[in-house]
Amino acid sequence: MTRHEERDVVIVGGGPAGLAAARRLAAAGLRVTVLDEQPELGGQYFRRPAPEVARVWGEHRPEGRRLVEAVRAAGVECRTGHLVWGVDDDGRTLLVSDPAEHPVRLRGRYVIVATGAYERPFPFPGWQLPGVTTPGFAQHLAAADHTPIGERVLLAGSGPFLLPVACSLLALGVNVAGIAEAGHPYRPGLRALGAVRHPARLRELAGYAARLARARVPLWQDTVVVRADGGERVTSVTLAATAAPTRAVRTVAVDALCVGYGFRPQSDLARMLGCAVRTDPATGDATPVLTASGRSTRDDVYVIGEAAGIGGAPIAAARGLTAALDILAREGHDVPAAELRRPARAGRRLERFKKLTDALYPAPAELARLLPATLPDAATLCRCEAVTAGEVRRVARTTAGDVNATKAWTRAGMGPCQGRECGFAVSAVARTSPDVFPSRLPVRPVPVTTLLEMARTEATRTEVAPTEATRAGAARPEAARPEPVGPEPAGEGEAA
Amino acid sequence: MSAKAPATPSTVTFEVNGRPVNAVKGVSLAAALVGDRVWTFRRNPVSDEPRGPFCGMGICLECEVTVDGRPGVRACLTPVRPGMRVETAGTEERP
Repeated sequence: MTRHEERDVVIVGGGPAGLAAARRLAAAGLRVTVLDEQPELGGQYFRRPAPEVARVWGEHRPEGRRLVEAVRAAGVECRTGHLVWGVDDDGRTLLVSDPAEHPVRLRGRYVIVATGAYERPFPFPGWQLPGVTTPGFAQHLAAADHTPIGERVLLAGSGPFLLPVACSLLALGVNVAGIAEAGHPYRPGLRALGAVRHPARLRELAGYAARLARARVPLWQDTVVVRADGGERVTSVTLAATAAPTRAVRTVAVDALCVGYGFRPQSDLARMLGCAVRTDPATGDATPVLTASGRSTRDDVYVIGEAAGIGGAPIAAARGLTAALDILAREGHDVPAAELRRPARAGRRLERFKKLTDALYPAPAELARLLPATLPDAATLCRCEAVTAGEVRRVARTTAGDVNATKAWTRAGMGPCQGRECGFAVSAVARTSPDVFPSRLPVRPVPVTTLLEMARTEATRTEVAPTEATRAGAARPEAARPEPVGPEPAGEGEAA
Repeated sequence: MSAKAPATPSTVTFEVNGRPVNAVKGVSLAAALVGDRVWTFRRNPVSDEPRGPFCGMGICLECEVTVDGRPGVRACLTPVRPGMRVETAGTEERP
């Protein structure tokens, strides 16, 4: 049976941004539901360790647990294990699959997209080998599961995130074989510049750098991975200068390689909701067009946190709060002017810091011009469909720069990841524009049984399930009541 | 943050391709497998190459395994449970 439910606000994503927004909105009496596909709230930043891991080895970022507790105490309906995989034809109803893979249709008078970010890989020969992962996976294994990703591990890519991951591995006793950074950010001059205004954040980075230096972890700057070799698991990594990525300079024996070039906004749901996006020239990423409050080009849809543009957890939380206050003001709630100004001011300060750190590392758009062009023809470009760079190049010569035609001919980007891992690299190899695949339904693979169940109940449905969020104690102002859910036109929303 | 354990964690036993494996209670299935040095979670349906977990957050779908007969389960999002029967495409006989 498909359940149909309506809320004041539906928030997709229970990370720092989504939780900050949810807590404030629920505290004001709105009926708020947070959906997250992970088994626990917290998002990637506040990924909750298994209770047994926390008990024995201590808790990673306990402030995340406290935030989740506050959100629950505020009366937010928290639905974990719920996958939002699409948007119905009305452009408003979210198509959701619950933990038992039953379909749920959920509508909010406001929708807040807080879908976060994912890591940016650049393909290289062998990136599909087992044992080659994102740095984020190594970090989750270390922080949430107390499991070392390998015994001898190389970190590569670009950005500040490589440093804390290396430190987490050291703490587990892992031999960190080295860090290959595509840029040359670690110069005292630039760091000193940053320390003038943002001592705390840079001290944090400097602290990681000091620990790595004490452990004599080699740091190779202006260096990229050009290939990984191995059979059933990676055994060695070959490095080259960023400026000359075809000439190998060093080969390192490893049993795991973690490569990531920072983070990209996860904007597919926002795009599916019809929010306009523009390509950020520095990153090449599709970024939603937003007001200062996070309101998208759709009046009832907000995009917050990393999905709105990469900035880190503190910026994400400030954006979440700003969006919540904007909604409350629109709903006629009394929001003190000082409270309105605070997150906006914090956000601006953090954005300045972000610009500073961004300037330390090479712009992803620059790397996208440099690296995919030198990818050998035989290298796997699209992991899911096992399409090589050579196939994409050959087809791109006849498709006149149309990324979708290239995709249709080669199947690159048509697999279950929907081009999230390879999309921008396919565009770079094919030298096409626009540089992102359009967002397609479903944004995640959905079991056929879920779709069938939904289709079966579409024709006969009349019931509207009572909302589980109507809990005792949470007084709802009449002004904030949703309009009643009327019967929707027959035949809509069938699974494609 | 300490590498040495001040207490002994309780463990669970589950099955990987019929073989019993121990893991710390409640960790992700991906961690339980990696902790047991299992890295080939599946084979790519096009190229038949071995594949293992990549993103660790549910978007790449490279960590899909079969759990209690249900295929396509993302190991990185699934907590390990006692008695869970996990099949990977890495070591079992392939058609």
